[in-house]
Amino acid sequence: MEAALHTGHDGHAAGHGHSNSFIRTYVFSTDHKMIAKQFMVTAFIFLFIGGAFALFIRWQLAYPGEPIPVIGTMLPSTWVNDAGAVTAEWYTQLLTMHGTIMIFAVIIPLLVGTFGNFAIPLMIGADDMAFPFLNMVSYWLFPIAGLIMMAGFFMEGGMAASGWTAYPPLSAIASPGQTLWIVSLFLIGFSSILGGVNYITTVLNMRAPGMKMFDLPMTVWAVFITAIIIVIGTPVLASALAMLFMDNFLHTSFFQPENLIVPTRDMSRTAGGGQPLLWQHLFWFYSHPAVYIMILPGMGVVSDVISTFARKPLYGYRAMVFAIVAIAFLGIVVWGHHMFQSGMNPLLGTTFMVSTMVIAVPSAIKTFNWLGTMWRGKMEFTAPMLNAVAFVSMFVIGGLSGIFMASTPVDVFIHDTYFIVGHIHYVLFGGSLFAVFAGLYYWFPKMSGRMYSERLAKWHFWITFVTFNGTFFPMHILGMGGMMRRIYDPTVYDFLKPFQPMNEFITINAMILGFAQLLLIANFAWYWFGGRKAKRNPWRANTLEWQAPSPPPHGNFDRPLHVYRGPYEYSAPESVQDYLPQTTSPEDLVEQRRHHEMRLSQVQQAEHLD
Amino acid sequence: MLDWLPENVSVFGEGVDHLFRLIYYISIAIFLLVNTIYILFIIRYRRKRKGEKAYHYHGNNLLEFSWTALPFALFLFLAFYSDGIWEDIKYSEKKPNPDLVVEVMGQAYLWHFRYPGSDGIFGRRERRFISPTNPFGVDPEDPNGRDDLTGINTMHIPVNKTILVRLSSMDVIHSFFLPNMRVKQDAVPGQWVDVWFNSVKTGEYEIACAELCGSGHYLMRAVLTVQPQREFDTWIDEQYTNKRVSLASAQATTNE
Ligand code: HEM
Ligand SMILES: [Cu+2]
Ligand SMILES: [Cu+2]
Repeated sequence: MEAALHTGHDGHAAGHGHSNSFIRTYVFSTDHKMIAKQFMVTAFIFLFIGGAFALFIRWQLAYPGEPIPVIGTMLPSTWVNDAGAVTAEWYTQLLTMHGTIMIFAVIIPLLVGTFGNFAIPLMIGADDMAFPFLNMVSYWLFPIAGLIMMAGFFMEGGMAASGWTAYPPLSAIASPGQTLWIVSLFLIGFSSILGGVNYITTVLNMRAPGMKMFDLPMTVWAVFITAIIIVIGTPVLASALAMLFMDNFLHTSFFQPENLIVPTRDMSRTAGGGQPLLWQHLFWFYSHPAVYIMILPGMGVVSDVISTFARKPLYGYRAMVFAIVAIAFLGIVVWGHHMFQSGMNPLLGTTFMVSTMVIAVPSAIKTFNWLGTMWRGKMEFTAPMLNAVAFVSMFVIGGLSGIFMASTPVDVFIHDTYFIVGHIHYVLFGGSLFAVFAGLYYWFPKMSGRMYSERLAKWHFWITFVTFNGTFFPMHILGMGGMMRRIYDPTVYDFLKPFQPMNEFITINAMILGFAQLLLIANFAWYWFGGRKAKRNPWRANTLEWQAPSPPPHGNFDRPLHVYRGPYEYSAPESVQDYLPQTTSPEDLVEQRRHHEMRLSQVQQAEHLD
Repeated sequence: MLDWLPENVSVFGEGVDHLFRLIYYISIAIFLLVNTIYILFIIRYRRKRKGEKAYHYHGNNLLEFSWTALPFALFLFLAFYSDGIWEDIKYSEKKPNPDLVVEVMGQAYLWHFRYPGSDGIFGRRERRFISPTNPFGVDPEDPNGRDDLTGINTMHIPVNKTILVRLSSMDVIHSFFLPNMRVKQDAVPGQWVDVWFNSVKTGEYEIACAELCGSGHYLMRAVLTVQPQREFDTWIDEQYTNKRVSLASAQATTNE
């Protein structure tokens, strides 16, 4: 282990020689902290693009066919009609790009790219990642892929328009924008794999002396297991994408049966004989695990934040680790729950229902352990803690709606309705994104060396929390009413007309929700440079990253580290303080106590003299 | 909140709604349980002064075991309980004998319906015969196909009869959705899927497409008319007469 640590550093020093230049430091950096920040900034940009798309979608659903206010007539004629209203074609592109961007260019880069990169080396006491160069490549593939995807805008037919799930044959007979989508996801997949390999190697080989696997904080455990899922699942997505690419371009028929009737395309060279369901199996074999890629790191971050701000050891640390492992491995055998109504053999529906129900168990275990952590704690509701607490309760709602859909007969009715949209957003926004907020505020002092504005952060939290629920909770009701997802105009259906007021209510909430995110950006942009200087360990936390200077220099730590205990020894009786860093040696502890007792007796003597 | 479910008029819809209600009440109970504890903790266990110590406690195996075992039992029960209803709806060996078979073909962005004509036998069909003018791919050589009735976006069925729908698609994937019958099934090109249902109430109901099939997806609406057997028979006869008339006139024009 020491040797590995050493090599890591050597490799580093070599690339370090002429790193003073701007390009080396800010653009092609191999420093994990800079790469984390690059992921963060890029993901923020995509967050606003994806968010704007969502608001166009919401406008159309609340006021079908009405011109977009203010900017409607300024938008290109390929997007809006003459009056400035969203067209059905653009609407379909919007919903596709919204889903794809939010999943692949926002949530995964923030949770895995940003937190994985920033937290892993610092939390295990390493000076960088195992493969800094791969790490840099992993980042750079991401903005390139993003640009390729957005380039669909300039193509005939616009951006991809077959949903983020891209079910063929629709996606196999599509416009060039779809091809860009395929290429882009392929590159993002590689970015993920490079990152994943790096995380696994780093966690296994570069932990500080004395640090056992069961001394790892939950964030590191979660990202580590996530990386394993990435490495198992992403190649399957990549191969499915390659097949879809060939179906589009080389007239193969992996996913296309004989004699498809497509007036807009010459199908004479497509032989047929393929199976549309094959795509769904391959896609969900990756994308169900991918939903855990999007939640496990969040669960890790939330565990650390709750324990820190409750000043209490994480309840059932080992159970929490095993629950993550269980989720990861069960997650590989539940993909069919997305296909209950797909025409797949209903017998498989039965088996996938059972496995899906079982996977809800580790989620329940985690929830109860978070509650246990808070029990008899001394909680302080800072911005990270507020977001973490919201995460838990929103995740419970998302898990419960999952049970409805896991029950195959119920899913017959709610599949492909707004109930699913509600579920997705409770787990991905209420879950993952609140965890992202928690983590961003939590590590802000370490990343920037400054303190954010707690006041602004609390405003941001409360507005987000309220309008989030106002936006997404009613979607369950729309789903119960039968409103299909991905429809351009619900008023076409008589049975959906009564829901129009609810659609308007949702849109109003969504607008506020969207604009409230500017508070987050303002907080970051302003206080990153202008905030109060942060101390090394402003939260009085135990994990290793708080032993480094804020912000940590290249190479991270300014003194050698040794790990003596697990990460959650808050309020330990053997310490005089309410926390006990992993690096405090038993001798230091004795010293601290002696010091403390001396002070106490001095105080007592002074009182005696009075 | 359960009132928001659209009216159910099918027999097995009862089972679906029953499960929905069951899971709904269980969810509300779990939600209230967890959140009450949660809010109590949030109120009760706040830090009052800096440096104040919390209870140093790492967990309890018995508790850990029970909150693993209880949800496990509950969710497994739900899975097996749901499965009974699922089998009744979907398993082919549980399918009741149909009183009427209708073939349904999705095409962007409309639904084709096909009834066996007066002989009660569908003409043979094959995928390779499918064309814009022959949506079901009926073999032109097969005499049984001559009297088959096809129509667009209107479906009629008799009330209180078991209907079997054979479902497929000409182009991309669609999904045949009858909100009031709790029916939803994807229509996959190159594959025929059987769906059965049964309506207990006459009236007009909407049919929707539930799977994104292109920018006109939202327009893929059809109307289902559930009527007494007698009226249904009249409707079929009318269709049949219309078809003969139009066939005859078509023949007349070709003969000229
Ligand atoms: C208790 C745990 C969960 C259960 C039982 C569950 C169950 C399901 C089921 C059955 C579906 C398919 C529904 C349908 O299309 O008819 C689904 C969809 C989905 N779930 Fe979950 N889920 C759970 C947790 C999560 C988590 C943690 C995430 C992500 C962080 C997630 C993300 C999604 C997404 C994105 C979809 C929709 C995919 C799409 O069709 O666009 N789920 N879930
Ligand atoms: Cu899934
Ligand atoms: Cu459709």
